[in-house]
Amino acid sequence: METFLQVVANGLMLGGLFAIISIGLTLIFGIIKVVNFAHGEFLMAGMFLTYLITTQLGLHPYASVVVVAPALFVLGAVTQKLLIQPLLSARDEHVQIFATVGLSTAMINLALLIFGADIANTPSSGLRSSIQLGPVRILEGQLYILICAALLVVGLEFFLRRTQTGRAIRAVAQNRAAAQLMGINVNWIYVLSFGIGAACVGLASSLVAPLYPTSSTIGTYFVLTAFVVVVLGGLGSIPGAFVGAIIIGLLDSLAGFYIGSDLREAVVFGVFLVILILKPSGLFGTRLKLSHIS
Amino acid sequence: MKRFGLMTTSALALAMMATGALADVKFGALYPFSGQLALLGEESARGLEIAVDEINAAGGVQGEKVVLERGDAVDNNQAIGEARRLISVAAVKAIFGSYSSARSIAASQVAELAGVPYFELGAVADEVTSRDFKYLFRTNPTADHMGKLIVDMIVNKVAPGIGKDPKDLKIGIIHEDSSYGTSVAGHQERYGKEAGLNIVTTQGYPAATVDMSSIVLDLKQREVDVVLQTSYQNDSVLFLQQANEAGYKPAAIIGGGGGYSMIPTAEAVGKDVIEGVLDADFTQYAVNTEFTPGLEAFVEAYKAKYGSEPRSGHSLNNYVGAMAILKAIDKAGSFEPDAIVEAVAGIDIPQGETAAGYGVQFGAGNQNERASMMGMQWQDGKLVTVYPDAAAAADMRFAN
Repeated sequence: METFLQVVANGLMLGGLFAIISIGLTLIFGIIKVVNFAHGEFLMAGMFLTYLITTQLGLHPYASVVVVAPALFVLGAVTQKLLIQPLLSARDEHVQIFATVGLSTAMINLALLIFGADIANTPSSGLRSSIQLGPVRILEGQLYILICAALLVVGLEFFLRRTQTGRAIRAVAQNRAAAQLMGINVNWIYVLSFGIGAACVGLASSLVAPLYPTSSTIGTYFVLTAFVVVVLGGLGSIPGAFVGAIIIGLLDSLAGFYIGSDLREAVVFGVFLVILILKPSGLFGTRLKLSHIS
Repeated sequence: MKRFGLMTTSALALAMMATGALADVKFGALYPFSGQLALLGEESARGLEIAVDEINAAGGVQGEKVVLERGDAVDNNQAIGEARRLISVAAVKAIFGSYSSARSIAASQVAELAGVPYFELGAVADEVTSRDFKYLFRTNPTADHMGKLIVDMIVNKVAPGIGKDPKDLKIGIIHEDSSYGTSVAGHQERYGKEAGLNIVTTQGYPAATVDMSSIVLDLKQREVDVVLQTSYQNDSVLFLQQANEAGYKPAAIIGGGGGYSMIPTAEAVGKDVIEGVLDADFTQYAVNTEFTPGLEAFVEAYKAKYGSEPRSGHSLNNYVGAMAILKAIDKAGSFEPDAIVEAVAGIDIPQGETAAGYGVQFGAGNQNERASMMGMQWQDGKLVTVYPDAAAAADMRFAN
């Protein structure tokens, strides 16, 4: 029983990690309808920034978020403005996807050039110490990640539903043309949304960096799972991403322990496929929106 | 005046003939010099360059100066393209390489078809020499040697150190599931069974994993005494950290090369966590130099040429292989491929007479049968050779 609880706790912590990384991705997808393949590299950039700030200035990794999140906001906004925006009118929307693939490769190689192929260690500042909660043992840093992910979901939902800007963003997401007719500056909303999505990744970077060594390819370790989480939860749904992440985390942990580490990916992706067959739009997804066609 | 002109002309001609006698012989140096593998590719090539400098200073091979033509094997396709260029455009007499197994397997195919000798000094995959090529030779130890050394070390050193019979130890094998980890794990199982070891579990996992807590928990539940991990850097760090955090302390952890030998790994997991961890790899520098004659001279030559300490054992192992091959080619009589192959096949250097400790003699598939790895241990933040005894620079330590 004790072991089972520990496996579940490990799964929850892993789910929190997947959630904090996936929220920005689903936000960008839900609003701009662009699949950002450079998402993992945004995380990598944020983690290197956290590494530099903590090692050069001696700050706590969490404190670096006041620099990292705004910096990632700018990176996201600039990506939207200079890379995605000019391609929005392209006849085939796949052009944007390949643009983000190109951005991803360029960012990995730029990081290789600057930081080399070695790993960079952000000081863990005590976040790697484990705490005993009843029968289970978890890492302090992982617990904070789970809490922050939950708070971020609540905060973003509040922003999108209760503020004027949030409503404008949702209007654009629901129907780009109609929103434009209502006088919303669609391009500005896109730049803002990409920036917010990227800033969420910035927050994730500062939380994740003290727990995982940073390298130029760290993004590729997380990005596939992030996509699975986002599709499972329903593309564009923020609570969906959170629930999807927890499910994937639990599955990964349970399958890894009770079935075998070599088969855990087969189990995770098998369950993922079954859910999609039963509910093609994902757990929290709505049907295909008309704006997709407009 | 005219006569004087004639004399200078003939003097010039003589001079030209003289330089002609000291003509250059070109060999290819095919390594990943850029891209993701560049760091250790470059480090490997430095060993070859130092060997060439030493040979040239002693009069070259067959009286001719050796010149290296570099080929950049960024990926497998480019390894093939560069091998073609080295052979047909640069007209090299032989190719040396290549650090990465995948690059080596691709490029050596081109050389074999063209009938140009290919000398592998650093790639470890079994497939490199399991293809029975005529013109391919490998001097360095392989995945097979790694599995064997680790099992030998458990039987002869780890079990007595813990104070148990080797057969009473519970062994757990975990490995990243690409061909590298899978083949080393396979050799560990095979040699382990031959030695009568009790292997309680073998588990693969993807190298790009972000969580190994379920593996740690499983090993802990099975009360595994000795964990063998074959891994890259990310998963080495992850396992050592998560085992420590879960309070899992097996009697011994033995890593296989890759991440386990690197200083950044020790820094990432912390010096107290990695203390006592064992590792099998190519010969490194903290070793008993009586067993590795020439190692100190190599390090001096390296520092003089590149202005820093060697960054890993790759340069040393490439140097040792290149020296053995170049000295053999010197005695070949000509640079014809078959003459080179015959000379190299006759190499017979006993154990303990090279700077890496191992000897050189080629056996089945033209693999160096005398190649071997060494056992290392992290002691006080440094990676020190502890096995075999003849090469050990310190005693193996056990936490008790």
